[in-house]
Amino acid sequence: MFFKLDSFALVGVDAVKVTIEVHLSRGLPGLYIVGLPGKAINEARQRVRSAILNSGFEFPVKKIIINLSPADMRKEGSLYDLPIALAILAGSGQISPGCFNDSCFIGELSLDGKINPVRGLISMTEKAVDLKKKYFFVPAINAEQASVFREIDIIACLSLKETIKTINSGSPGENACRRADPDLSCNNCETDFSEVKGQFKAKRAIELAAVGMHNILLIGPPGSGKTMLARRIATIMPCLDLQQCIEVTKIQSLCNETSNGIITDRPFKNPHHTISRAGLIGGGVYPRPGDISLAHRGILFLDELSQFPSNLVEDLRQPLENREVIVTRNQVSYCFPSNFMLVVATNPCHCGFWGDRENRCKCSEREIKRFWKNLSGPIMDRIDIRVFVSRLKEEDYINTELGENSEKIKKRVERAVVFQGNNKDRKIKYNSEADAATINKWLAGDERLRKAAFMVGKRFKLSARGLSSILKVSRSIADLEESKDIEDEHILEAAGYRAIKTYG
Amino acid sequence: MDRLLKDILFILYDMKINASDLVKQYRRNGDDIRAAINYFKNNKSPERSRQLTFGGFKENKKEMENNGGSVGILEYVKKHRLGIMHIGNKDYPPDLLNIFVPPPVLYYRGKRPDDKLFNIAVVGSRRCSHYGREVASYLSRNLSRIGITIVSGLALGIDASAHREAVKEKGGSIAVLGNGPDIIYPPENRDLYKEIEGNGTIITEFAPGTPPLRTNFPIRNRIISGLCKGVIIIEAGQRSGAMITGELALGQDREVFAVPGSIFSPGSRGCHKLIKSGAKLIEDIDDILDEFDHLFKEKNHIAAEVIDKKNIRKQKRPGDISLKDIKLEPLQSKVFEVIGCRAKSFDDISICSSLEASRLLKILLFLEMNGMIREYPANYYSRSTKCGTF
Repeated sequence: MFFKLDSFALVGVDAVKVTIEVHLSRGLPGLYIVGLPGKAINEARQRVRSAILNSGFEFPVKKIIINLSPADMRKEGSLYDLPIALAILAGSGQISPGCFNDSCFIGELSLDGKINPVRGLISMTEKAVDLKKKYFFVPAINAEQASVFREIDIIACLSLKETIKTINSGSPGENACRRADPDLSCNNCETDFSEVKGQFKAKRAIELAAVGMHNILLIGPPGSGKTMLARRIATIMPCLDLQQCIEVTKIQSLCNETSNGIITDRPFKNPHHTISRAGLIGGGVYPRPGDISLAHRGILFLDELSQFPSNLVEDLRQPLENREVIVTRNQVSYCFPSNFMLVVATNPCHCGFWGDRENRCKCSEREIKRFWKNLSGPIMDRIDIRVFVSRLKEEDYINTELGENSEKIKKRVERAVVFQGNNKDRKIKYNSEADAATINKWLAGDERLRKAAFMVGKRFKLSARGLSSILKVSRSIADLEESKDIEDEHILEAAGYRAIKTYG
Repeated sequence: MDRLLKDILFILYDMKINASDLVKQYRRNGDDIRAAINYFKNNKSPERSRQLTFGGFKENKKEMENNGGSVGILEYVKKHRLGIMHIGNKDYPPDLLNIFVPPPVLYYRGKRPDDKLFNIAVVGSRRCSHYGREVASYLSRNLSRIGITIVSGLALGIDASAHREAVKEKGGSIAVLGNGPDIIYPPENRDLYKEIEGNGTIITEFAPGTPPLRTNFPIRNRIISGLCKGVIIIEAGQRSGAMITGELALGQDREVFAVPGSIFSPGSRGCHKLIKSGAKLIEDIDDILDEFDHLFKEKNHIAAEVIDKKNIRKQKRPGDISLKDIKLEPLQSKVFEVIGCRAKSFDDISICSSLEASRLLKILLFLEMNGMIREYPANYYSRSTKCGTF
């Protein structure tokens, strides 16, 4: 007897179709799995047998061969238990395979027939929609996550027995999960901007960064509130739309199999500086997304940049440019999206007090220059906004007056982002993505702007890169004020976020 | 190449006579270098002091030996077009000649350091505050503008600020090195070195090839004060090179000026100590020029030639910003009023002027573009010294 049904394998964040073929023949009884199965898949033999028996079915006394096609692709994980069990049962005529052509299956089996959750379910659901399947049988624990897609019936499976009952009923659609409209409002509400005292300049800079998705550098002495500010950036960024939520959930669910529902919060990743290369960029024997991908559509916060090994920081160059990272392992390339906002915090010098009013800095000029030299370079070039976060004075600590709260700022940012997106002649979504051609276009249409840019560039001795950063930021300021053109004063303000390096 | 120079170099680098011994003989023979040379050439066992040389500072003789003797030095000087000047030259700076041990030979780049200069030294800490830098720039700029040459040691910090402003103006600047003329130390000041070569002089008494040893600098300091009529000390710790220069200047009978700082700042302790013991406290260049009034009155004195003193005080200093010239909008002048001479933080300015960050930043940048205020690290702003805050 021959029988087949469809399931999925994960390649990077995306799923590909895997067809599970089963052939029952006469011969020495046994279960053989071919098609480059990993260790966990080979062990499915025991799980499937026990689960079938414990669910009250019969395990056929036949020679059973299972092929996972395409057979030349390495497959990992325990996610084929359910389809294998169903294929065997269908092959041996214990269930009616009526809906199998329109369905696909995924799930890990327990020995008692219960179905356990799997990783990356949302990617597979997306693929199932692509393949125009009608039904997708998924573990009940993950089902909510899959149900954001409206085009497909998600059938939550608690156990093998129940699943078979649903299949045998002939119309599995009746048992499908209710497709609830996902609640897309984000609730990063543990923190709020109103808790930050003073720091008006830094707050404004962060608001602009959120508008244009500019990378931002916070410079400040220890205890000045760099981390506090960074943690609150996500609270003023616009909410993710459904497509973005799915993207984020896809990546997060690769690392967390029990995740249910869809992730609506902007991710905030704060890796410690001892993080490994694979941990940051992605990789490993079975490549997993690194922190730069887990921060997709959110914030990657590198605290104490000077402590990060320089090769790690250099590794960020390409992902920052391409907004995705390609990890190649064992002749397979995995592409993980990594469109994040880089937030970097650093002390201004080794002792942390450079620029301090009371002259507490113990570093020589040379040490300070060396400190900045280690930081600077290509990554610094990709940071549009650099702003000093100064230490609060004692009297400011006890000032209990609250500042503007995140909700208010967020409303402004959202309006600006919409304004930014409405502009038809801009191909880019965010100002930080503007390339030389786009900036040229801004300049070409406006004589006054050219003059102002020239003046600012000359006064502050800016490089071409520095000037284009200022132009990008001034575009964001203009968007925030819903102004069609970049005005002189926008450029002036943008020039204020270039944080002087060293002088003397 | 003149004969005298060859002989001096021969005595110093081939016979390995200390410069201080040569000068001792020079003085004994009634300031006649020829007689001193003859003394060493004809005397088989000339009088040599053991160690103590320049008023207590040891010269590191060992390091100066590896330069191929006098012939090697002369070849080097010719090849690299260095200027060279010796104690027997007629235009040897007269002020320098008067000190205890004037350097027998001076190597220089740039303008010849002749007797037609009126010099003032500006010295201070390498680790200085913004205030110190600001003072050094301000005083040097305005002194140089009226024709006074600023002498300093090409170190980082105060020295660099003083040189940087002085070379841009009429008087120019002289940098006295603590190493050979072929070495740029510290390397951060490479650009400054070239600038000074253009409008001023790089001077050293150390032969080509002498590295910047720590023992060289106190020795070098006597030349800084020796070249000048007065020494301005800005931000010096209690035990610092600037204090050494100040003490040497007193020994050389030079005017010593000290700039006060905050009483809480350890960086100004030395200056305050000097003021307590009689150095003149200065607030502006007028305080300095007052001390030289008698020189200006003397006819044919170099000071009168170089400096047109009558016009100094009344005249608006070129490059200064008069507040009447710039038309400020009400908000802008309000912000400018709020920012005082002492640096104020962004948050404070924002609160005092009750302006939100975005508008305030635009105004601040406008004022900065016009040179009316300066930004310091950590979001601090103060009025620029060009605005007549002093």
